[in-house]
Amino acid sequence: MAGSNEVNLNESKRVVPLNTWVLISNFKLAYNLQRRPDGTFNRDLSEFLDRRVPANINPVDGVFSFDHVDGATGLLNRVYQPSSLNEAQWGIVELEKPLSTVEIVPVIVFFHGGSFTHSSANSAIYDTFCRRLVSLCKAVVVSVNYRRSPEHRYPCAYDDGWAALKWVKSRSWLQSGKDSKVYVYLAGDSSGGNIAHHVAVRAAEADVEILGNILLHPMFGGQRRTESEKLLDGKYFVTLHDRDWYWRAYLPEGEDRDHPACNPFGPRGQSLEGLKFPKSLVVVAGLDLIQDWQLAYVDGLKKSGQEVKLLFLEKATIGFYFIPNNEHFYCLMEEIKNFVNPNC
Amino acid sequence: MKRDNNHLQPNPDPSSSSSLGGGSSAGKAKLWVEEATQQDCGMDELLAVLGYKVKTSDMAEVAQKLEQLEEVMCNVQDDGISHLASETVHFNPSDLSTWLQSMLSEFNPPSSFDPFGADGTATATALDDSFLCGPAESSTLSTLDFENNNRQHQKSGQQIFEEASCSDYDLKAIPGKAIYSQNTQTQPPTHDSSSSSTHNIVKPEKRLKSSSGSHSDIFPPPPPPAGAASYGIPSDSIRPVVLVDSQENGIRLVHALMACAEAVQQNNLNLAEALVKQIGFLAISQAGAMRKVATYFAEALARRIYRLYPQNPLDHSLSDVLHMHFYETCPYLKFAHFTANQAILEAFEGKKRVHVIDFSMNQGMQWPALMQALALRPGGPPAFRLTGIGPPSHDNSDHLQEVGWKLAQLAETIHVEFEYRGFVANSLADLDASMLDLRPTEVEAVAVNSVFELHKLLARPGAIDKVFSVVEQMRPEIVTIVEQEANHNGPVFLDRFTEALHYYSTLFDSLEGSASGQDKVMSEVYLGKQICNVVACEGVDRVERHESLTQWRNRFTSAGFSPVLLGSNAFKQASMLLALFAGGDGYGVEENNGCLMLGWHNRPLITTSAWKPANNTSPTSTITY
Repeated sequence: MAGSNEVNLNESKRVVPLNTWVLISNFKLAYNLQRRPDGTFNRDLSEFLDRRVPANINPVDGVFSFDHVDGATGLLNRVYQPSSLNEAQWGIVELEKPLSTVEIVPVIVFFHGGSFTHSSANSAIYDTFCRRLVSLCKAVVVSVNYRRSPEHRYPCAYDDGWAALKWVKSRSWLQSGKDSKVYVYLAGDSSGGNIAHHVAVRAAEADVEILGNILLHPMFGGQRRTESEKLLDGKYFVTLHDRDWYWRAYLPEGEDRDHPACNPFGPRGQSLEGLKFPKSLVVVAGLDLIQDWQLAYVDGLKKSGQEVKLLFLEKATIGFYFIPNNEHFYCLMEEIKNFVNPNC
Repeated sequence: MKRDNNHLQPNPDPSSSSSLGGGSSAGKAKLWVEEATQQDCGMDELLAVLGYKVKTSDMAEVAQKLEQLEEVMCNVQDDGISHLASETVHFNPSDLSTWLQSMLSEFNPPSSFDPFGADGTATATALDDSFLCGPAESSTLSTLDFENNNRQHQKSGQQIFEEASCSDYDLKAIPGKAIYSQNTQTQPPTHDSSSSSTHNIVKPEKRLKSSSGSHSDIFPPPPPPAGAASYGIPSDSIRPVVLVDSQENGIRLVHALMACAEAVQQNNLNLAEALVKQIGFLAISQAGAMRKVATYFAEALARRIYRLYPQNPLDHSLSDVLHMHFYETCPYLKFAHFTANQAILEAFEGKKRVHVIDFSMNQGMQWPALMQALALRPGGPPAFRLTGIGPPSHDNSDHLQEVGWKLAQLAETIHVEFEYRGFVANSLADLDASMLDLRPTEVEAVAVNSVFELHKLLARPGAIDKVFSVVEQMRPEIVTIVEQEANHNGPVFLDRFTEALHYYSTLFDSLEGSASGQDKVMSEVYLGKQICNVVACEGVDRVERHESLTQWRNRFTSAGFSPVLLGSNAFKQASMLLALFAGGDGYGVEENNGCLMLGWHNRPLITTSAWKPANNTSPTSTITY
């Protein structure tokens, strides 16, 4: 049920600043062009349209970045760091010394969104967001360029996430604090949030310590249609139709949305009870049609005895964090800053 | 966009926001006014940083277009959308307004508007370019005209290497236009002054003058514009770095190199000498690309320290060989030729006689594919004239002539009327339009092509400006330029060094995965010569003065050229080409405001751009008011 389009457009236009509306509507349009009804994807057009930025070893606003490639797998991570207070150090990648021997410098492993299909670590929207995270949390951010669907279905994204996590954990130059450890948080928006969850589960099972998970309107779903899905379908940039498409493109062929990748606490899900799972910050946008699944996820964590904080932003739409022109953005940033505070 | 500063309300009522759909404000309004500030007459900065160029004043209009498109797409059948997705050629998605408009035009009734162009371009088949492998031969100078009659040419006595394998890229047919010239946009002109109309129409006498071929016409170069030094226009100082795992161990080597370069910069030659020796030891312990790169840079530093400058210019036959191996080993040159050819092919659409002026002739490897594509054009090939320009060779052979002969042979087999002239010149700046026997624009369309040549002009003051001026006189339909995507021409030695270190490290890394053996070694030597030039040479000897796209854009627009956009078609074809080449393997094509970049693991390495003189209107279109 999409309703009359005119009504929809006016509604979404009322709740976000105009330039945000333009940005997200543009994505919506571009994505519509890329998805084919038969489930295939116009990757060439997608790559052509995506706006990208190169890494930059020169600090900009106190942040510099560089890319790292695993020669064997081709997996690329983009590393963002706060620039040194010592200007003589600018332009130099420090790969021998730890981040600090005194204080703890968190490393946030970030999984960009795009419904498992769109965007890359070097997409402009995500490069910008990661830079903001660095400044905000005084942390290192490692953005993972995981393989995307439909060319690479489940579990590729999770495998790449896990590989990236192991890489991060094994870098001596990402260590900090008196204990010389790599202090890791996982974070992601949309599909990235989903990836963060599943990588965290794997980490917990393998006894790899994660200090916290930040899930920004994470992408979850299920076979049944929830109230929020019925109510908000097509109203704020997103339709059920496209959500279904992306799950069909990501999940193994023939699977339905109760597959545990999509519905981790659903009929085929697993309890995380007793697992040393990190504390979670789950951010839900009140105008996101899949919020019922996200709230169910929060519930699932609680029932498993896990620590979770829900940040419910009633009037936020998806993508509110791309442009710093609304209250939700600043609210989110404040919460993240407190969550990643190394002194907690 | 104005803000409502009712900052005391945590959750203001959305209905009270401005009619522009303005967002709500909160207690932190003061903090964010700075970040959210948008220049009223400029670009929306918040969108700009995300890759979209939209003027604040255009925002509402852009929003409207998005709405219109949404509506139209809902009303149209499914295949309407897929048509838009797969058949339409898209250009410069950063310019949202224009991009949206072009899609809207697809759906609007103007029935005669056929965005695909009835005469699509031709298909070319893979070409065996083995015959291009002869070394340079006979001596002499300049212009040797010949037609493609049955001319036996002497094959060179010795082949230095076996014939290369089949060229593994095609110039496929491109439905629709791969390029988009902003000059021919259908938007109504919004000029205010009526006097501009007369100035924009090409004056007939000027056109005749430039193309009469009369040798008495000398066009003196205009004085260089103020401030355009040959030392380089300041760049955006973005330095992308890609590390491959092995380099993590090599980072100490990188630091040592930079320390040495810094010592050289500060003229502390004793320290520099000590460091360069140390680097030698460190390099040996490395493996792979890092070792090779370090070795080349160390050698170049040593040359600079000991003033043992490399002999210049390079022996031409050796450089040809190196060039050829580089061509075969990795996709850079192929990408360059391919994308430039796509643009040229489109620019020549509908033309009966065409003339390519190639500033980077070398062994002419770019042209067989273009000729093939022209041969297969529906309606038959145009008459194809090629003017190849290159430096003189040392062994008195006339390599340009040799190349021309081979191309003539090809032309004969594919039934393309062919004319060739080779020009030997020490510098492109030695050229004058009068030498080129240019014909009237309505008779013959001109394309100027330059692959990795233009930057060399920056070594001499005034040279680039002279060349821009001469190019304008050629009245080209298109000027295709391929250049390294790097700033190796900054005024500070240390900056140049560091940029080059990262750039060539990435290049060498990309070679590691590709063919091994002689091809790879030769390619490394080829690149090593460039490294040596960037680091060890100065003044007119330092010819590898690479500059970034941003810098070239400035140069071209200042010189009176406007961009010709490369679109999603060319992008897609180039991507396919890369996929053929060692399965992609880290290579990727990126679109940047109408230009195409080839990069390795997100690091752009070479850029193809296309240009046209801004006042060059085709004879059939005039501006009327």
